[in-house]
Amino acid sequence: MDISRRRKVTKVVAGSLAELYPHNLQMYYIPPITEISLSEFEDLALERLKVLRCLELVNLKGANKFSDEWKASLCEEMTKQGLKNFYKMSTAPTCKQTDAELQYRKKDHLSHFILRLAYCRSDELRRWFIARELELFKLRFMSLNADEIREFLNMNNLSYSPISAEEKDAIMPSLYESTYGSTALLSEKDFFRVPFTDVLELVRSRKVFVQAGYAYIPSSEFVAVMSSVYRATLGQALMMTYRRLPNVDDERLVPLLKGLHTSYVGEDFKTPKGGEICIEDLDKHARASYPLCMRFLHEALRTHHHLRHFGRLQYGLFLKGIGVSLQDAMRFWREEFTRIMDVDKFEKEHAYNVRYNYGQEGKRTNYTPYSCMKIICSSVGPGDHHGCPFKHSDVKILANKLQAYGISSQYVGEISELVKGNHYQVACGKYFEATHGKPSNGIQHPNQYFEESQVALGNRPAIKQEPMSQNSQHSQPNNYPSKPKPVKQEKVEEDVWGGDIDLSSIDMDVA
Amino acid sequence: MKVEEFSPDSLPDLLPLYYKRLFPYGPFHRWISYGNVEPNYFQNREFSFTLAEDIYIRFKSFIGREDMEKEIQKRCPYKIDIGAVYATRPQERHMTAVFQPQERELVFDIDMTDYDDVRSCCSGADICNKCWKFMVLACKILDAALREDFGYEHLLWVFSGRRGVHCWVCDDSARKLDVSARSTVAEYLQLVTGGENKAKKVVLNSDKLHHSIRRAKNIIEPQFESMCVEDQDILGTPEKISKVLSLVPDDQMRQEIEKEMSKQNTPSMKWAALTSVVQSWIKRGQLKKWRQFLVEEIMLQYTYPRLDINVSKGMNHLLKAPFCIHPKTGKVCIPFNPRAAEKFNPMTVPTINQLIHEIGQFDKEQTQEGDEVSLRRVKDYRKTSLNKGVVIFEEFVRKLEDTWKGKQIKIEASDATLKF
Ligand code: SF4
Ligand SMILES: [Zn+2]
Repeated sequence: MDISRRRKVTKVVAGSLAELYPHNLQMYYIPPITEISLSEFEDLALERLKVLRCLELVNLKGANKFSDEWKASLCEEMTKQGLKNFYKMSTAPTCKQTDAELQYRKKDHLSHFILRLAYCRSDELRRWFIARELELFKLRFMSLNADEIREFLNMNNLSYSPISAEEKDAIMPSLYESTYGSTALLSEKDFFRVPFTDVLELVRSRKVFVQAGYAYIPSSEFVAVMSSVYRATLGQALMMTYRRLPNVDDERLVPLLKGLHTSYVGEDFKTPKGGEICIEDLDKHARASYPLCMRFLHEALRTHHHLRHFGRLQYGLFLKGIGVSLQDAMRFWREEFTRIMDVDKFEKEHAYNVRYNYGQEGKRTNYTPYSCMKIICSSVGPGDHHGCPFKHSDVKILANKLQAYGISSQYVGEISELVKGNHYQVACGKYFEATHGKPSNGIQHPNQYFEESQVALGNRPAIKQEPMSQNSQHSQPNNYPSKPKPVKQEKVEEDVWGGDIDLSSIDMDVA
Repeated sequence: MKVEEFSPDSLPDLLPLYYKRLFPYGPFHRWISYGNVEPNYFQNREFSFTLAEDIYIRFKSFIGREDMEKEIQKRCPYKIDIGAVYATRPQERHMTAVFQPQERELVFDIDMTDYDDVRSCCSGADICNKCWKFMVLACKILDAALREDFGYEHLLWVFSGRRGVHCWVCDDSARKLDVSARSTVAEYLQLVTGGENKAKKVVLNSDKLHHSIRRAKNIIEPQFESMCVEDQDILGTPEKISKVLSLVPDDQMRQEIEKEMSKQNTPSMKWAALTSVVQSWIKRGQLKKWRQFLVEEIMLQYTYPRLDINVSKGMNHLLKAPFCIHPKTGKVCIPFNPRAAEKFNPMTVPTINQLIHEIGQFDKEQTQEGDEVSLRRVKDYRKTSLNKGVVIFEEFVRKLEDTWKGKQIKIEASDATLKF
């Protein structure tokens, strides 16, 4: 089927679309075979990316995933991005097979496969993509009614049956005790016994009864089983796509695919933007320009002359990103650590890691400073100082520290409220405002915080920035994907380059 | 004659002897070969050596037992680590395009330093019998969870030689877990979270106790007072009391507990005051439903196993092999029986110089009696206090090997029925 934009005459044959897309929810087993124009390709990619980005932002706001609050917030965010229809279609499947719906399914299908091409390239990209796609899948699955679910299972050859009444009676007390949520309806619910590896999320959060390697899940949590099937399929498919990627030889696609993720996550701060930063000034910078996560680490290091592994990583990479040279970094860590250990021990145990951060050891990768997201999601245990203070501190302890830093009690109050509502990055922005006397552009990355601070303090000329969201007050940073520039140029030349992209020529088969 | 205290400087002299005469290569090799069910399992395993001067060699691999024995005796590593099983021999990793870990035991690492904020007897690398009790509890709780909840049977528990314990889960299904399943198991078993800026590190937030937590609580409860209130004296000073009180979220309740505690003289009466205030609040329905496990939360924060979960999450994390010598203490990294963990005393774990001394003594006695023949027949480790650890290890390996024997029998049996 040809759906090229230039040959607009394409008639959509409803019959065949309905055959191709019989259900609103897809497992994406079969890659598309169709030709589309480069600009369509790009539009589809960006639209789906926006959807995924919405999911990510809404997660950061801290509401329980898939709760009504979360859904409302997602709906709002997607509406803002002009994706209201996508949201509606995803949550209220009518299964009426209307033309609009079929078109939506087709778009869904194509855009999913296009993003696979962009997101199969590295572990980190794959992980991000799988996590977001999984959320989308769950959202859709949870909107299905019982009939639709049955139909879906049939269509995809997935059969599951609940445990028998006797078996259930025998373990009822355990089910009561260990199944998350209200116990009221449990006796009526069907339970499924599945290998615990099929429902990792439920096991991880101790929401179900687990015995001898099997998890017992109530029918209301069945979505977890489905999403693990989906996760496994998608994970495998991405690896396959990755292996076959070298065969994609359309030179127009390569830069587009490569640029897609960075076009919205912004910079990675691997290489410092400003000039060199002198380690003699770090105390000063910690007070004036560090985000709280780094200020805490810096102070902990100065007091204890030591940081644990992940603290050293989080802070060490940040220092690299703001422009501390390897030589200086080495001197800095050595001076602190050798107050409690001899130089020999430092050279043996820690010097390696400092060089490692700068890509001088091990795999010689130039490691990326951690973003807020990574820091907020990191696991923090006793004895640790890393993590994001807005997420990983008690509100009281945080408030005391802020007070001690001389933050006015009004700001301390506002920040505490934001923290209680789990708006960590927004709280961080408030802290910026309190210490700089002007609002920030939205905090995504500790190094970006630092750069902005340097500009605000006049230590560095302002770098021309894209206009950010208008209501910077409490809104999340408005960092949505936009078309990267080089690709736009190519679009102008599209006619010269000519030709559509034949998706069937890209081998995305899973088998 | 008394054995001298261990000094790290003597390692270069002692290690060659230890590796020549004492290291139990036989059972060790049988363990890592896993019944040879998969032909290259042993060959494709990564080992790493730490040599003197902290020279670190990764991605070593051995063809078989002899090769391994020779190499270990030649290099006399200060430390041997065990890594993952790869699809090819790690030593030849440069010859393949994708070199990714395929399988790996599920491992756990508990380190006493993670308990520094709840123990007052020692800190850092030191341990004593009082704080070893934390390890005993951790071992019991994890062992039960891994067996009952996840159905694993082949658990090897090892004292790390200094201040911690390792657990190797060696079941076939455990070795095949992928990274996300590993992190799931690890996080399922992790309750104490939050860093230095978070006082309350266990928040249950539920009106029921998950069975794994209830089981842990049942293990902890009978020990808690003697361990924490008495040994560690967690209510011994005003600062320590305020640390416990900071775990009570409700201001009014906290004040009430503080007042009741101040009326009591002994720590255990103070603890009783705390629990009875909480009880009375629960009885009067003043405590929100999902807050009612406050006392449990406090007990768990002080005693629930504190895992270094990053060790468990990864496939390619290296972990020290059992029967290594800890280079700082000279103690053997020795297996112990989790069911008798409380009887295990880390203070009396043999050191390398003690062991060497013991074989010397044994040899001397035997030769005095002129019994050269029997001297040959006894394995050297049998003559020393290493023997107990080896026996536990052999028992573990034997059970492991039984699983394949069982399989073989089943296959034969099903073949038999087919013929009819
Ligand atoms: S929001 Fe980001 S920059 Fe701010 S403290 Fe947290 S991790 Fe650091
Ligand atoms: Zn102690």
